[in-house]
Amino acid sequence: MTTQKPLELILARNLMSALSTPAFLVDEGGVLVFYNESAGMLLGKRFEELGTVSAEEWGALFGPFDSSGEPIPYDDLPLVVAVRDGRPAHADFEISSVDGTRHRVEVSAFPILTAHGSQGAIAVFWPAGSSNGAGH
Amino acid sequence: MKVKLWGTRGSIPSPGPETIRYGGNTSCVGVTLSDGSMLALDAGTGIRSLGLALAAEPARLHILLTHLHLDHIQGLVFFAPAFRAQTEIVIWGPASPEASLRDRIARYISAPLSPVEVRELPCDVSFRHCPQTEWEIGPARIRAASVAHRGPTLGYRIDDGDSSLAYIPDHEPALGADIDALEEDWISGFELARDASMLIHDGQYADAEYPDHVGWGHSSLSHAISFARRTNAERTVLFHHDPMHSDERLDQLGREAQERWTAMGGAVGGIELGAERAEYELAAPTASAVPAS
Repeated sequence: MTTQKPLELILARNLMSALSTPAFLVDEGGVLVFYNESAGMLLGKRFEELGTVSAEEWGALFGPFDSSGEPIPYDDLPLVVAVRDGRPAHADFEISSVDGTRHRVEVSAFPILTAHGSQGAIAVFWPAGSSNGAGH
Repeated sequence: MKVKLWGTRGSIPSPGPETIRYGGNTSCVGVTLSDGSMLALDAGTGIRSLGLALAAEPARLHILLTHLHLDHIQGLVFFAPAFRAQTEIVIWGPASPEASLRDRIARYISAPLSPVEVRELPCDVSFRHCPQTEWEIGPARIRAASVAHRGPTLGYRIDDGDSSLAYIPDHEPALGADIDALEEDWISGFELARDASMLIHDGQYADAEYPDHVGWGHSSLSHAISFARRTNAERTVLFHHDPMHSDERLDQLGREAQERWTAMGGAVGGIELGAERAEYELAAPTASAVPAS
């Protein structure tokens, strides 16, 4: 038996499933619990193939990297900041897809705060320099 | 555990010759626990009749509100026990960041909408936000969880001995999701209803009506049936009937539900449409829930 997800995460996943903007969802522990099809296209791997991963595992798989190609510390990632500090965070960095292609993206993350505290966070990836996040 | 439906209608009371059999009162279910303790699930207009039936019983009773839409609280100011000084009433409901449960209910029980104010109720009334963890009322263990509907809304599960009742009258678990394909932990309300002896669930819309009401917070017949099958509820009572549905229309939907239920492998009689004043006695999960009348 698995643990029922909080309603706010369920509704967030439902919304993200309908978006053409790459979007990622983490739970209150920072575990990546879902990303949508657009994010899967960006990464070169569908969520159904990858499954849930911790932030550390995510870093090993996809980065991210700063403009000089150095890995960005885990604690500085917008999703981590959003979950840990309960505030929005924004960054501009590169991620690596499974075939090694680097994508420069802008990322905005915001916490999912409820009457019962933080339930996780959502991050939206936007191809850097694009005026249309769905256009990658 | 004994269950009686005092109001099965959704949205707005719909009395009249065309709704006599299924009833026109809005959501209210009476639950009598194994020690005789009394719970009311929601306080739609059906709670007025429940209160009259309790007239000779000074009591402590608990009202569990799923949410504060009018069709779930309208009967509060017509609930006779609330006007008896010897009655203690505990009202449970969802928390909101905006205001306390008492203050939100007081918006209805106050001028100009009501001739009485909360502070004027003769009974001993208290208001409690449902905890996130299980709690006890008498011999029962109560669980509340947020479910997909508009605004802060709860579903409830009541376990008393070996029997269990899940009550999710306003619920749209299929909003933006395919509940036939989703993993169970991603389905709103799933844990409340899992293997319940009885599930009372939203079944407001016929399938053909649902596309015009996506996002209104209610289920189509297909969604309700899928949810019931996925959660393995032993017996399902569809509830919160659309006010536009006459007895004849509900008969049709009931037949359709039963045909589809059995075609999916469900037990004969495992699903029905709730009718006002219907009574059930819930048995242990290995036996079928037995209708008391």
